[in-house]
Amino acid sequence: MTATSPTPTAAGLTRPVGPAAGVVPVALALIRRSLLGTVRIPATFIPMIVMPLFFVIAFGGAFSSVTLLPGFPTDNILNWVAPFSVLQGASFAGFGSAFGAGRDLENGFFDRLLLAPSPRLALILGALGYSALRAFVPTVIVVSAVLLTGATVPGGVLAIAVLLLAAMGVAVSAGLWGLGVVYRTRTQRSGGLIQVGIFTAMFLSVGLVPLSQMEGTWLYWAARVNPITAVLGMARSGFVGDVTVDAVLPGVGALAAMIGLLGWFAWRGFRRLEG
Amino acid sequence: MSLPIQAAGLRRSFGDLVAVDGVDLEVREGEIFGFLGPNGAGKSTTVRMLTTLLRPTGGWARVAGHDVVTDADLVRRSIGVALQDAAIDPLMTGNELLRLQATLHGIGRIEAKRRGAELLERVGLTAAGDRRVGGYSGGMRRRLDLALSLVHAPAVLFLDEPTTGLDPMSRIALWEEVRSLNAENGTTVLLTTQYLEEADQLAGRIAIIDRGRIVSEGTPQTLKAQVGAPTLVLRVDAGHRDEARAVLSGRFGTERPAPTPEAIAVGLDGGAGAVADVVRVLDELGAELEAMELHEPSLDDVFAEATGRRLEGAEEATTDGDDEGGTEPAAEGRRGRRRRGGTS
Ligand SMILES: Nc1ncnc2c1ncn2[C@@H]1O[C@H](COP(=O)(O)OP(=O)(O)OP(=O)(O)O)[C@@H](O)[C@H]1O
Ligand SMILES: [Mg+2]
Repeated sequence: MTATSPTPTAAGLTRPVGPAAGVVPVALALIRRSLLGTVRIPATFIPMIVMPLFFVIAFGGAFSSVTLLPGFPTDNILNWVAPFSVLQGASFAGFGSAFGAGRDLENGFFDRLLLAPSPRLALILGALGYSALRAFVPTVIVVSAVLLTGATVPGGVLAIAVLLLAAMGVAVSAGLWGLGVVYRTRTQRSGGLIQVGIFTAMFLSVGLVPLSQMEGTWLYWAARVNPITAVLGMARSGFVGDVTVDAVLPGVGALAAMIGLLGWFAWRGFRRLEG
Repeated sequence: MSLPIQAAGLRRSFGDLVAVDGVDLEVREGEIFGFLGPNGAGKSTTVRMLTTLLRPTGGWARVAGHDVVTDADLVRRSIGVALQDAAIDPLMTGNELLRLQATLHGIGRIEAKRRGAELLERVGLTAAGDRRVGGYSGGMRRRLDLALSLVHAPAVLFLDEPTTGLDPMSRIALWEEVRSLNAENGTTVLLTTQYLEEADQLAGRIAIIDRGRIVSEGTPQTLKAQVGAPTLVLRVDAGHRDEARAVLSGRFGTERPAPTPEAIAVGLDGGAGAVADVVRVLDELGAELEAMELHEPSLDDVFAEATGRRLEGAEEATTDGDDEGGTEPAAEGRRGRRRRGGTS
């Protein structure tokens, strides 16, 4: 609703009330602001670029011999580690919006946002939109690097699209987790806690070793229940073979579950800010 | 009947600390209402409750006719707010911030552009509009913050310590701005301040708040009149000093503490009009009048009367380790944060 509505005043006259703001324009304006901030301090971009590349190189070297395992799905280690590196990078990228929210909470800018007569959801969507956009960076960087080495992606363009979708989902989940923590602590200094949570979740998945090789260990069970495992399966499917519905569906389901759960966590935290 | 700002028994505690302890307020349409109090008195907490940023733990408040808790969104649509910290993103330019603020308030692009230019002009920042806010001076930030709070032409404006930390020139410029806003658009203004002069100069009515309670309320004139008589301070030749002191305090009012032992201070019950009689009486005594000053009662006297403490110089007193000013340690912490917020 954007029409102005009258409010009765002391004199019995009517005084117009300003318009309400819609979800979409507010969310877009907030994304725009975050992008401006990133462009103006380009240094914040560097870790987002370097980190996933570092993962590709480090994991590619350290785990290169896993391709020799019998029945291993690919013979190029890069195809195996690239999707995992992208998701790692995306989780890191997604946390950027929570960092921004923490800074706004610390210096009082967040009050300006809270004073807006817009649905509260717009403030969260603005942050998440930015998280999702940031997921492009590790995806583009890693995929380019892999293609430059001459590796082929069996699933083709669809594989890259699925990887990007998974990366965005992970970035949004990481963003929600970060926002939930930041809304409760009201400071960007809680970043350490946020990252520990994210990296634990990432590593307790079948990041580097196939699930079948972990059988009998606690890691196996951690990876089995970890929704990231399904997301990774989705992201990886087109890199080690064809994109299959069997791989994508559980991944999408896991992302939906994560976003639902973490969304609830973030929303609860947000409501506390208004107390 | 609905007033622009109305509160009854408004209360907010943080754990054991009661920051605002039963505030009743009635701000009338089109007035500038001053909220005067020392550090930690509860000014910002009250403003945060009235502007929907903080939920009251007791009592109620209505702003622009809407309940601040149940109709927060309608309140937000009616008010402009410039908070104490003047939090503005240092990476953005003045124009970008104005555009963001307009979007946050549901104003379309074209209208936002027009309003933005008009407001920058109004606060004298047209030339700085495309510069990043990080490079603005304190006064420029405050003026931009004021412009931001006006983007949606609010009926009620809240200014939390709008001039704290500004030099005298910038302070007076901001006063002018608030005055003209109020005069031209009839905007109702609630402003908080720790400066006696600011409350005196700017506000039509003031409430003095201390330790979460309103200790007196009224126009600056009536409040000062309640303190009563102005103080006459004078000096006569040493030979007639004791005699003059006795006669004056007997005939014109009560003796008050004088600034120096040589001076005589009397509360003049007859007001300024009695000064001529004082001079005549001294003449009859044969006393030689060396110096004379008449002090009108100040808001500091009002504050002192209500709380037993002085507002003037309270801040210096606390930094000297003397806690006469009643500043909570936590309030000091908040001040520190404000400074960081301003430069980050
Ligand atoms: N979020 C909070 N948590 C805990 N205590 C708080 C909080 N906000 C304010 N207080 C405390 O409430 C009291 C009133 O603070 P408030 O900020 O309202 O004072 P103020 O009159 O605005 O002071 P100043 O002139 O320093 O801005 C102070 O003791 C302050 O420490
Ligand atoms: Mg304050």
